[in-house]
Amino acid sequence: MFHYTVRRLLYAIPTLLLISLILFLLLDLAPGDPTAQLPLTIPPDVKERIRASLGLGEPIHIRYLLWLQQFFVNESLHLISELTGWDISGDRQRVISWQTRSPVVDIVIQRLPQTLWVVGLSYVVGIAIALPIGIISAYRQYSWFDQVGTFVSMVGFSVPTFFTGVLLIVIFSVHLGWLPSIYDTTHVVTDWNSFLFQIRQLLMPVFVLALFNAAQISRFMRASMLDNLNLDYVRTARSKGLAERAVILVHVLRNSMIPVVTVIALGVPSVFGGAIITEQIFKVNGLGQLLIIAIEASDIPMVQTLSFIFAILIVLFNLIADVIYGILDPRIRYD
Amino acid sequence: MSEAGLTGDALVEVRNLKVHFPITAGILRRTVGEVRAVDDVSFDISSGETLGLVGESGCGKTTAGRAILRLAEITSGSIRIMGTDIVKADARSVRELRPLMQMIFQDPQASLNPRMTVADIIGEPLREHEASTLRRRQDRVDELMESVGLNRDHASRYPHEFSGGQRQRIGIARALALNPRLIVCDEPIAALDVSIQAQVVNLLEELQDRFELTYLFISHDLGMVRHIADRVAVMYLGTIVELAPRSDLYADPKHPYTEALLSAVPEPNPATERERQRIILEGDVPSPANAPSGCVFCTRCPKAIDLCRRERPEFTKIGPSRFVACHLAGTDQPGPQANLRPVPSN
Amino acid sequence: MRTSRCLFGAIAAGSFLAAAAAQAERGSDGHVSIIYWQAPSILNPYLSGGTKDLESSSLVIEPLGRHDANGNLVAWLAESVPTVANGGVSEDLTSITWKLREGLVWSDGSPLTSEDVVFTADYCMHPQGGCAQLSNFDSVQSVEAIDDLTIQITFDVPKPYPYSVFVGAQSPVLQRSQFQDCLGARAPECTEQNFNPIGTGPFRVVEFRPNDVITMEANPNYRDPDKPAFATLTFKGGGDAAAAGRAVLETGEFDYAWNLQLAPDVLQNMQNAGKGTVVSAFGTLVERLMVNLTDPNPELGDERATPKHPHPFLTDRNVRQALSMAVDRDLLVEIGYGQAGKATCNVVPAPEIYASTANDGCLVQDIEAANRLLDDAGWVRGADGVREKDGVRLSILYQTSTNAVRQDFQALIKQWWSEIGIESELRNISASVFFGSDPGSPDTFQKFFADIEMYANNFEGADPETYLGNWKCNENPRPETQWQGGNMPRFCSEEYDSMLADMAKTGDINERARLGKAMNDMLMQEFVIIPLVHRGRVSAHSNTLGGVDLNTWDSELWNVADWHRVK
Repeated sequence: MFHYTVRRLLYAIPTLLLISLILFLLLDLAPGDPTAQLPLTIPPDVKERIRASLGLGEPIHIRYLLWLQQFFVNESLHLISELTGWDISGDRQRVISWQTRSPVVDIVIQRLPQTLWVVGLSYVVGIAIALPIGIISAYRQYSWFDQVGTFVSMVGFSVPTFFTGVLLIVIFSVHLGWLPSIYDTTHVVTDWNSFLFQIRQLLMPVFVLALFNAAQISRFMRASMLDNLNLDYVRTARSKGLAERAVILVHVLRNSMIPVVTVIALGVPSVFGGAIITEQIFKVNGLGQLLIIAIEASDIPMVQTLSFIFAILIVLFNLIADVIYGILDPRIRYD
Repeated sequence: MSEAGLTGDALVEVRNLKVHFPITAGILRRTVGEVRAVDDVSFDISSGETLGLVGESGCGKTTAGRAILRLAEITSGSIRIMGTDIVKADARSVRELRPLMQMIFQDPQASLNPRMTVADIIGEPLREHEASTLRRRQDRVDELMESVGLNRDHASRYPHEFSGGQRQRIGIARALALNPRLIVCDEPIAALDVSIQAQVVNLLEELQDRFELTYLFISHDLGMVRHIADRVAVMYLGTIVELAPRSDLYADPKHPYTEALLSAVPEPNPATERERQRIILEGDVPSPANAPSGCVFCTRCPKAIDLCRRERPEFTKIGPSRFVACHLAGTDQPGPQANLRPVPSN
Repeated sequence: MRTSRCLFGAIAAGSFLAAAAAQAERGSDGHVSIIYWQAPSILNPYLSGGTKDLESSSLVIEPLGRHDANGNLVAWLAESVPTVANGGVSEDLTSITWKLREGLVWSDGSPLTSEDVVFTADYCMHPQGGCAQLSNFDSVQSVEAIDDLTIQITFDVPKPYPYSVFVGAQSPVLQRSQFQDCLGARAPECTEQNFNPIGTGPFRVVEFRPNDVITMEANPNYRDPDKPAFATLTFKGGGDAAAAGRAVLETGEFDYAWNLQLAPDVLQNMQNAGKGTVVSAFGTLVERLMVNLTDPNPELGDERATPKHPHPFLTDRNVRQALSMAVDRDLLVEIGYGQAGKATCNVVPAPEIYASTANDGCLVQDIEAANRLLDDAGWVRGADGVREKDGVRLSILYQTSTNAVRQDFQALIKQWWSEIGIESELRNISASVFFGSDPGSPDTFQKFFADIEMYANNFEGADPETYLGNWKCNENPRPETQWQGGNMPRFCSEEYDSMLADMAKTGDINERARLGKAMNDMLMQEFVIIPLVHRGRVSAHSNTLGGVDLNTWDSELWNVADWHRVK
């Protein structure tokens, strides 16, 4: 397994380089102008100078290599400097956003907490809801519980978050006035009351996303349980005289979890990618919102860096999913 | 059927067993019909014997086997094992009876939990039913593995690391763990290579002698059943059409279906094999959801008469320990003897 | 402090606000929260032209002078507005002298001096800085400190309107000691400075989270000891206009929401919740149609849409006039803007002295007259109802940016034009491409590879000279200028150019107004620009927030020092 992991990590390097190049070319070829959002009162020659100051005048291969150097060398050195306190990065140019003129990675790090709080929590909540629903739905296939579960999953899956989100805001913020409609990213939990406020402001965005995540995962869980429930080893377990609970939770669940855990692991990068629409609706201003604003503003360094970080996470969690699969399923051996 | 008890010390008494599965349709999943997988079956199994249960696939023999161990939901009828009616028993009593009755499955791969080691698979029932120490459990696992011819050093391996024959040995060891009296062998060799089949069958016979086991041996392989069974029951479309001691059945089949089945068994002797004539049955097995009225076999029976299409024949005793469900049986009417030749017994 | 009292008193003259504000004590009203649905990216307006960035930074850094809510120039950090009359502007109109108020200090306690102003000019005019406000420093020859409080700006040409430099939110004064290492190419690297500029304004930055939220607190060194009334301020960004409106008008979570571009009925429904008030004001923003006088035919290759090839039918003034006459501007306002718009017939709709009344005939739609006009001009309807003459069909490609209101407008106008026998094909282009100036893209509004295009534009401040300069002959975008330039119709008139030259030499405000109106009227009566809607700014504040005086000539937050809680 160790050799396999190392080999996969080595393979990931050329893959990621290729991804970064494709990203860069796509972004460069896509129409768009970082000064397009500026008011028309700013004359074209000034815009031209702004573009030049952003480095847009350089040929594409120079800009790509520059980005590679900034991202891999300068950012790594900076990170080491930050962690160790040694000044080895000097004043090397980091990847700078065109909108904010500040290092992209710093903004990403600043955004991570709210994204993980909201999107991450909703993923955890979604899983926590989905697994029992999936298990019971499969065990009591076609019961009313299963039918209701199927309906809720269908709703969660097919009704877009921009609808459920706004609906919740209208009900709970506008009419009832119970919950805030705008997420306060500066809120700090210091005592019981501020903790309660944090819960209240998390409630709606987490629910909206959890519903969506739970819908997906509970379907996977149900299908996987159904696949296993009819296998002979379940009959074997029953014939051993095990209690039904033990048959389901020990034998069926452990085997059914193998594909589900993989699906869950593969979904983790999307947590970091943020939930663009939900973040916009509740003004969570996490990584998803950062990406969409950067795209609107043609902030190529920001879009490139964010997309590339997502690419790294996707490659990484693919590997993690495979490794988990190997650990959970003794039939899989990689070496 | 009152004297169906053949030996008086029957280990298992099955009476009028029915297993019907509902057929549902539509959004509301209304029941629109039922599949009569097992339809009114009665037989006994005496202690220490091997009852062969044969029939084509889909005839309900596997369901019957599972029902006897309460691994399928029973619609009606009674199953008494050592005097206890397991149909009426609650889940708890059934669990307490589990050690007495075990099953060996057709697919050794699917019947073993892929995420458990051999030691766990064999040891789990011990943990569940015998409050023994870990040490004693390990000893017992080793003992069981050796008795089925497995290397005890492989106890910590997973099922996928074994060959098909070895896996079936694991399944057998597992079934033996709690010293059962009855083992339902559901086509235990069908998924194995021919070269391995004999080994497994021999192992089963050897274990039967050693542990005084009673087998219900379910198979579609008449040759193998002839080898291992003491008595043979032939199933067709959810019912038993003939039940007889092995030698009688093979020498003188009373039911046209049995005759047809036997005519398909190849002869080991090339001389007689050349003379063997097959009875080719016309048509397909009817759906168990829509069984014909009258005799279930009437749609394919080469000898069917009007009566067969009207009335279902009783399962009647026609000789010492011989039962058959056929209007023509007992009338001593010569069957299509021109086509059939007595099969030499053993 | 006496002067500042006078100043604010003058602005809020006669209103109860002044009295209320004067009684308040600094920080006594607690917290105020503002929501902009576009999130600020940076607090240095010299590195960003975005409104969100300008307005958020206006809470912290201030210019020498600015425009009040009525468009009048008022002194801010300066003692008074320099004019020719008071000797602040030289007779030959080539220099202006500003005098700072005495005793002003930065929020860090150090004094504001003329060196800071001089430095700010150097900062923006640095050739490698990519300063977004460089055009405000057009023809500035030098900026010198005469003494600690006096600054003289010299122009290399006579500048009859010298108030573009250091006037308004787009041209505030930066602190020299903070920014001195950030000149030129180093400007973008000064993250700390750009996120947390030290200013003289009523608030100072506590934390700036780019594209998200700014936390501020009252500036302890603000010149008026009683202001601001709020101790802390949150400036939240992001989302959409509907959510921002909801947060102020329906849930009451925020006190002020900027620029609520919403359908009129939606806004009315929100206001009915009773938590807040919608306020609107009109600046100079006009939604207009630009008529292409050159031929955009792709077969012309590099000479496409250049004056070498006049347009086959839009060069006929009758056709252009008919296009204008067929439009029902009131209906457009009702559908698209409601309270936030009014029909207009001028490309310079304000300030009042520049607003012409000579073209108001266009306010009434007249399809019949438009048809007659085209009939008389010899454009005859063909079999399919589309007019043609000498084999030229009146078939128009009509483009604009992707935007729901604009697409509604396109559909309506297409219908009206079809009623006068002109067919049109509609096209919409993503705003970032349409308004982008990528010379490689064929879809920019400057290349104008279409017959008609629609967008909105305005001018900064209250003087239209630069704006009117867009329609000079040589301002037409063409390959030689990398398709830069503001003269989208490719309009060219010697008379117009000479009026513009006159204006550049005229200091007298009334004479400037006469020239401005004349130029506006010329453009209108030639129908090369067809104005549709004079668009206003709509914002909302909660009923408990007092002191809001919506200003479209400068930052909306220009008088935030006077904002206070209504009990």
